[in-house]
Amino acid sequence: MLLDELVKIKEDLLKEIQSASSQKELNDVRIKALGKSGLITSASKGMRDVSPEDRPKLGALINEVRTAIEQALQVKGEKFEQEALNKRLEEEKIDITEPSKFGKVGALHPIPDVIDRLTDICVDMGFSVVEGPEIETDYYNFEAMNIPKNHPSRDMQDTFFITDEILLRSQTSAVQAREMEKRKPPFKIVCPGKTYRNDSDATHSPIFHQLEGLVVDENISMADLKSMLTILMKRLYGEDTMIRFRPSFFPFTEPSIEVDVSCPNCHGKGCNICKGSGMLELLGAGVVNPKVLEMSGIDSKKYRGFAFGFGLDRTAMILNSISNIKSLYKNDIRFLNQMK
Amino acid sequence: MKVTYNWLKDFVNITASPEDMAKRLTSAGMEVEEIIYQNEHLHDVVVGRILKIEKHPQADKLVVCQVDIGKEITQIITAATNVFEGAVVPVSLPGADLVNGVKIQKAKMRGIESCGMFCSGEELGIDENYFEGAGVNGILILPSDMKVGQPIDKALQLDDVIFDINITPNRADCMSVIGIAREVCALYGLYMRKVNLSYDIDVYAKDTVRDYVNVKVTTPNCFRYMAAAVTDVKIERSPLWMRARLNAVGIKPINTLVDITNYVLIEMGQPLHAFDQELIGGSQINVRQAKSGEKIEVLNHNTYDLDEDIMVIADSEKPMVIAGVIGGTNSCINDNTKKCVLESAVFDLKSIRITSRRIGVRTDSSARYSKGVNVANAEMGMLRALHLISRIKCGKIVRGMIDIASQKNEARKIVVSVKLINDILGLQIASKDMLTILNNLGIESTIAGDKITCIVPPYREDLENDYDIAEEVIRLYGYDAYDNVDYELFKNSAVTEGLHHPRLLMERQFRNALVTNGFYENVSYTLVPSDMADKLLLTDERKNLIRIANPISEDISCMRTSMAHSMFTNIAYNLSVGNHNLRIFECGRVYLTDTLPLEKLPTEKDMIALAVCEETFKTVKNMNFNFIKGMVEMILNKTSVDYKLVRSKQPYLHPGISADIIADGKLIGSFGQIHPVVAKNYDIPDYVVYAEIDDDYLASLPVKKIEAKEISKYPIVERDLAIVVDEKITAAEMLDTVKSSCGKLFYDANIFDIYRSQSVGENKKSIAFKIKLSDMNKTLTDEEVNKVVQKIVKTFSYKYGASLR
Repeated sequence: MLLDELVKIKEDLLKEIQSASSQKELNDVRIKALGKSGLITSASKGMRDVSPEDRPKLGALINEVRTAIEQALQVKGEKFEQEALNKRLEEEKIDITEPSKFGKVGALHPIPDVIDRLTDICVDMGFSVVEGPEIETDYYNFEAMNIPKNHPSRDMQDTFFITDEILLRSQTSAVQAREMEKRKPPFKIVCPGKTYRNDSDATHSPIFHQLEGLVVDENISMADLKSMLTILMKRLYGEDTMIRFRPSFFPFTEPSIEVDVSCPNCHGKGCNICKGSGMLELLGAGVVNPKVLEMSGIDSKKYRGFAFGFGLDRTAMILNSISNIKSLYKNDIRFLNQMK
Repeated sequence: MKVTYNWLKDFVNITASPEDMAKRLTSAGMEVEEIIYQNEHLHDVVVGRILKIEKHPQADKLVVCQVDIGKEITQIITAATNVFEGAVVPVSLPGADLVNGVKIQKAKMRGIESCGMFCSGEELGIDENYFEGAGVNGILILPSDMKVGQPIDKALQLDDVIFDINITPNRADCMSVIGIAREVCALYGLYMRKVNLSYDIDVYAKDTVRDYVNVKVTTPNCFRYMAAAVTDVKIERSPLWMRARLNAVGIKPINTLVDITNYVLIEMGQPLHAFDQELIGGSQINVRQAKSGEKIEVLNHNTYDLDEDIMVIADSEKPMVIAGVIGGTNSCINDNTKKCVLESAVFDLKSIRITSRRIGVRTDSSARYSKGVNVANAEMGMLRALHLISRIKCGKIVRGMIDIASQKNEARKIVVSVKLINDILGLQIASKDMLTILNNLGIESTIAGDKITCIVPPYREDLENDYDIAEEVIRLYGYDAYDNVDYELFKNSAVTEGLHHPRLLMERQFRNALVTNGFYENVSYTLVPSDMADKLLLTDERKNLIRIANPISEDISCMRTSMAHSMFTNIAYNLSVGNHNLRIFECGRVYLTDTLPLEKLPTEKDMIALAVCEETFKTVKNMNFNFIKGMVEMILNKTSVDYKLVRSKQPYLHPGISADIIADGKLIGSFGQIHPVVAKNYDIPDYVVYAEIDDDYLASLPVKKIEAKEISKYPIVERDLAIVVDEKITAAEMLDTVKSSCGKLFYDANIFDIYRSQSVGENKKSIAFKIKLSDMNKTLTDEEVNKVVQKIVKTFSYKYGASLR
């Protein structure tokens, strides 16, 4: 009798599990079956009344029924859990396009940023970064750069004067003589900084930034200059950048050159940034005039050097497609926000 | 500097196109900035003769003209009233594109076809000075003997090509047609034609130049003075070819003598001056420094006061010319001039530069003198002028010439090394190529072994050594030699260590940290208006603004002495354009001096400055101060600085809500809320907070060294403690007390609440600390912890009379 009864109980319970529609109903079935006075628990207790020879058979059956019920309860339970989880996940769904309030950062200014980039490249090539005063003597800005008083070369720059002998440096070249007096060759230096000229229009700001480079060693040539500037411009504007020399004049270099760089925008094809020429006039350079070395106490028979200087405002403008130089100094957040 | 293609052809037989020439000149350092085709707007314009004029049947104001244009007779309708049958006129035909933008095509005018238009002088781009009749209001009536059918650009000599060339300051010798011609010769390997310097003299005349003028030079600033005399002067319109040349380079033709002086100026680069001989007092020319008190009215109709720094050409009584710069009205060539004295001189460029700057006058003459005119050039210029007078027959040249020279300039010899030139250039240029280049440049050169001996002509004062010659070689050899140079960087040089600038590197950390905290980096003008010090209420040396002697404008006339001005100005600007919630910073310099005017270079101090203007900070008291303080601590914590805070003395900060940062007994920075008066001065809100720190000081410190402490494996015990003290006791003092009372068990302590109320008491505050204790070797017992807490309370009560709340 018990055996048949157990099979029936099992079938009934399985049906009930099957039809349970909530975790609570399922729990009720669990208690009904496996609780302290549940059907299966009671059946186990009933083992006592069974003859010893029938016990193993009954015991096996009870275990089988228990396992089956437990399994069915677990399967059904997991199903309810999964459903509950799915429901929760669905309910918790948010609009992922809502703007975040966090991680709001500002931005570096393009000029100091380009100084960082350039000085990093130059330090890699063995240059040390130096600075010099912006309020400078006539001697360091001009005379030590082979530009005597009342010399025609002075016409090349409109200078802000403070007194007859003190001025706002018109070129970072003013640091050249200071460093040459301080250092013993061989050395390589670069100097970023502010420069000033009495000139203000759509393409000129009275305050602007330059980067000056100077190398003094025994066997320096124009070919070193070419290699160095090629590497610098490639690292700044990309591997496919090339440079070209053109003759020019600076009192402190001889020979003097202008360096044209292939337009990083059109790669030499011609566009409105390079005005169709494919090249941009970006820097002045040359072999250091031996007179300049001598004036600063360096033996020009033994040492040679090269120097280069370029406008950082223009560089920052090209790198960031900035069209008006004045926007670099307005500090308008709407402008700076684009520099992120 | 403008020169023309035809003018150059006088001296060199160019066959290359103007474009090619411009390219070659540019590649050799004579940058051609523009090529201007004079006849760009003169195509399809020809000389025509009006054969017949009839009234237009449909229009009163129009006439119908039959016009002979050489190859055919064409019909043109005009409203012009100064035309007549037989008149020779410029005719623009269909296809013409005139300088004023008018494009000509066949058109019917009131039913009758018109195949072109007659032109006025203006429509051809010329004026009365250039061609007689070109200035009239109407059609330009051409001379009746002009050949009909020829293109107008040929007929009016408007067919030249003009080059606008940027001459570098070292090449004053190229500020002339002849100078450019020499370059062209060198570039194309051509020979220079000899300049015609011959002129006629009446061999029977007895008078000599001394009968007309005497010259005395008493100033060292005149290196050479030449004078010649011309009689029977004809002051009239100079010939068309001369006017054409002058017009092409932008000089207004005036009359024979004036045009000749200008012609020589452009052609030879030699400024000349022509005097009316009868207006030279005592027939005496004195080249001297002016005396103070002397005055002169010059050709620009201004009168200038002269002094000893200014050189003049004077007669026996009065200054006649400001030497090398501008002529006076008292002695210049005029319509009645019969006899003329011609001057060709060389002056010290420094003297001319000083004078030109002093009186603020720049002329074609001063422009050349201030770049330097070669002593040998005066003679070339004088002879060329006499040749031109003779050629156009505008005067009789008197025998003899006065020539007073204190300087000579002769060819110099320099010896250079082929190896050194190649070492400088980093190229391998053959010595024979160098020789060819130098000889083409007019530098007679010979070679012996490694040495080249160069005979440098007088006009090449810029050439002195191997480096100069290296430049001559490479600029003509062509810099494209470097296009294919693939050279190992610094292959013959020493390895040098590249070092970052310590301050810039440190600032980079600050800048990146600030950007992460929502700050925007600024770069401001270091030049500021002179009211900066007043707006910031400055009282110390920062009141001493260094002023520019020649500022562009008052707004940017002084060097800033405080970053606060830039920061507040930038806040104000951003607010004015509608930007809100501003966090800005700048790394920049201030320029400080204790004495004015400057006798030595001032101190330039590198600072980092921050300013914050956020509306949300209005809502919670002290939040603005707390925020800026947090930012300052963030910066300082990146360095090894040991600092303390005291109440700030900065006049532009709110005295109660600001702090000065003191390290090594020095002020190294300040921060806090803006002073309300300063806020008003800059028109910005009074809750703006500002900070500045001396970056030079921070960069001078040793780099921060981090020493990590081991963390105890036993638990940390926390105790909260609220203590009531007087308002005047600062938080920093109390934290110090807590720390020292905890002894070696101290792990951390912070203030988590400050509470003020009536129940706490007037002028009192309740400060709540969270104190953390720890021991490396054991778990702390309650007993041990309580002992520490009691000690803290005892110390507070003893030191400040404080009580536990």
